[in-house]
Amino acid sequence: MAFMSFSSLIVLSAIFRFILILYGEWQDTHMEVRYTDIDYLVFSDAASLMTSGKSPFQRSTYRYSPLLAFLLIPNSILHPTWGKFIFSASDLLVGLFIRTILKLRGVPENLCTVSVSVWLLNPFTFTIGTRGNCEPVVCAMVLWIFICLMNGRLFQAAIWYGLIVHFRIYPIIYALPILLILDPHVFRTRHRPVLQNWTQSKRNSPWSFSVTRLADLFSPWFIMKSILTRERILFGLVSGSVFLFCTAFFYYLYGWDFLHEALLYHLTRTDPRHNFSIYFYHIYLQYERKLMVVEKLISFLPQLIVQLVLILKFAQDLPFCCFVQTVAFVAFNKVITAQYFVWFFCLLPLILSSSNMKLKWKGLSCAILWVGAQLHWLMWGYLLEFKGKNVFLQLWMASILFLAANTYLMISVIQHHRYFPVFSRVENTSDHVRKLQ
Amino acid sequence: MAYSVTWYVETQGKIHMCISLLVGIPLIFFSSNGFCIDSSSFSSKDVTSDSDFDSYSSVSSFYCSSNKYIMKSYSEKYESLQDPDFQEFVDQELPLGCGKFLPDNLNLVLRHSVLHRSLVGEGSHRHLSSSIRFSFNLESTSELRPHECDVILIERLPSGVYADPFELQHLLQRGVFSDIAVFGDANLESPSFLSNRSAVEINMDIDLSILSGHKNEVVIKVELPLHARYAPLSESGYWDVKFGEPDLFMRCSVEGKAHNQNSVEGKSHNQCCLYMIKNDDDQVQHGTILWKIPSGIKAHAGVVYVFTFVSAFLSSLLIVLTSIFYTNINGSKNSKQS
Repeated sequence: MAFMSFSSLIVLSAIFRFILILYGEWQDTHMEVRYTDIDYLVFSDAASLMTSGKSPFQRSTYRYSPLLAFLLIPNSILHPTWGKFIFSASDLLVGLFIRTILKLRGVPENLCTVSVSVWLLNPFTFTIGTRGNCEPVVCAMVLWIFICLMNGRLFQAAIWYGLIVHFRIYPIIYALPILLILDPHVFRTRHRPVLQNWTQSKRNSPWSFSVTRLADLFSPWFIMKSILTRERILFGLVSGSVFLFCTAFFYYLYGWDFLHEALLYHLTRTDPRHNFSIYFYHIYLQYERKLMVVEKLISFLPQLIVQLVLILKFAQDLPFCCFVQTVAFVAFNKVITAQYFVWFFCLLPLILSSSNMKLKWKGLSCAILWVGAQLHWLMWGYLLEFKGKNVFLQLWMASILFLAANTYLMISVIQHHRYFPVFSRVENTSDHVRKLQ
Repeated sequence: MAYSVTWYVETQGKIHMCISLLVGIPLIFFSSNGFCIDSSSFSSKDVTSDSDFDSYSSVSSFYCSSNKYIMKSYSEKYESLQDPDFQEFVDQELPLGCGKFLPDNLNLVLRHSVLHRSLVGEGSHRHLSSSIRFSFNLESTSELRPHECDVILIERLPSGVYADPFELQHLLQRGVFSDIAVFGDANLESPSFLSNRSAVEINMDIDLSILSGHKNEVVIKVELPLHARYAPLSESGYWDVKFGEPDLFMRCSVEGKAHNQNSVEGKSHNQCCLYMIKNDDDQVQHGTILWKIPSGIKAHAGVVYVFTFVSAFLSSLLIVLTSIFYTNINGSKNSKQS
């Protein structure tokens, strides 16, 4: 994208988002179908309740951290679109953070801009922020944690991590890869970690390094000496404390409502209503009887196995690991809604520069298959929801097709990925470190 | 499964319906106020009717309060919405009539008939469209405070169908609805076999003073957006939901002189009259409204169970194998070069 600089891209994106927010206001006032996300009205109502000193959980279906309602208090004081501006600003911040991470990894400028535009010009992402969805805030925080880690700011990363897991539980899946990346060979307190360079990584294979890590994991001595390192304990304690403090504080303020709505609901959610998940029809068909523990475990196994294998294999290449983990987590989840896709859309630009997948035709085939499987699902969903046809079986098969598309996408992405660990080993780069000092 | 929590939404805004007066005079006044959401636990607080004047007065005023809904009183007494309970509530608990100030014969001259009633739309989101005609005999309304009457319409929704209070709020803000409250199950997302029934109560202000002549008629049209819950499993694949008739009441403030011995002679009171508007139709003029909601088919359970888990395991196996046998592109290139 030589025709556009990064600053022009950000300004253009900001203007476009501003226009979309204004348009949203117009559509909400003049048309039967709202532009604003229904959840945004829920956040706003919760914020309004908080402003009047009440619990945000008095608003039914508010199932988020009270921090979100707190963030949107100006909605009822300044203007109802305040939150949309916050979310869209976070959306732009994600673009900025993507560039920062890619720059830190030594990715050339033109590739950076192309990657950032995959986020900023993605119709799905720019509508999600302007419609009032809070996911861009989560994405920005996740990327900021990566930046903190890359800059060796472990304490700050831990604080943000504890906060983000409180705010939106799903980033808990990044806990293990983050702990693994805090390897004593690459990450030492008081030393700025040495980052692998994009051009350097194209020449040298760090593969043997990764295999060593995998083998080490099964050594008890290694577990004692290397796994329980000062950095890992510090990260675990700080992030855990922040999470527990937030939970305890809001439990003190809002009691059981908070625990149930903002935390337990998400952990135990099984939705019988149609959604992209392959499990929805099974859950519906079995809803009248209680599922046995064994059945619950069986449905959790694919998710667990895939997560563990991806983490053990790719943890040192943190952005890539988080991307495939998130795609897999969403694909195997018991409930999938379209807003979950943003969770990995924000990580996609980070891995494009280390993929040798050509847009023609492998890249396009992945994109078309993924979008096509969604559209196919939406067609059956439309017939069920808006035409009243009994197409549960077809819709469930469309969900399986969508899982197949996700699997194809993940396999293709993994096969075409150039392993690109974030950090270099300290031993190998001691001379480099000395020079820096 | 009985939920012990109800929710309701009270709203006031501009009138929600396309209301036309057959006589030709618009008679609906618009009021605009705030919106509030509240939730409360059911309790066993009884609303009793007493022959004593003061007691009666307080009960009657209770229903005259603009913030008080008939269904709220019902929900305070009963745990869930059941037709026999509601009938018992109307017959025994509601202070129908005007107490001892005014002749109770007003209800004899209030009639309604449902001209048209149908479900509009397809799929899970439809509108219950009703066209109802009211007949008033104005001679009996001379002692009413004519600008303080409102018609109350209660739709007892069948199991498996709900009205979204937050959607109604949006319609109110757009000036589509007047006062409205929804009572029922707090969980909009749960399937019908785990939910209680809910009811919608709509209040419409009516100014009787502008009516003239011996007999006048008003036709109101109500379009209520409704949504289908997930239906219980069935063999046929569809779950039939049947709608009943709406319940209609009229509530007016009256200026009357008490004739009770316990009260001060000649003192005027602002009192509340609540009347049930009875159905004029000897026979229902419209067919039963039926909503066929798609439901899961029991026979699918086995196939779905097996293939869901087979596809999940196959998919995870492919990802796991790809990851385990992944070789770095550079690594393979380097080894080839060497």
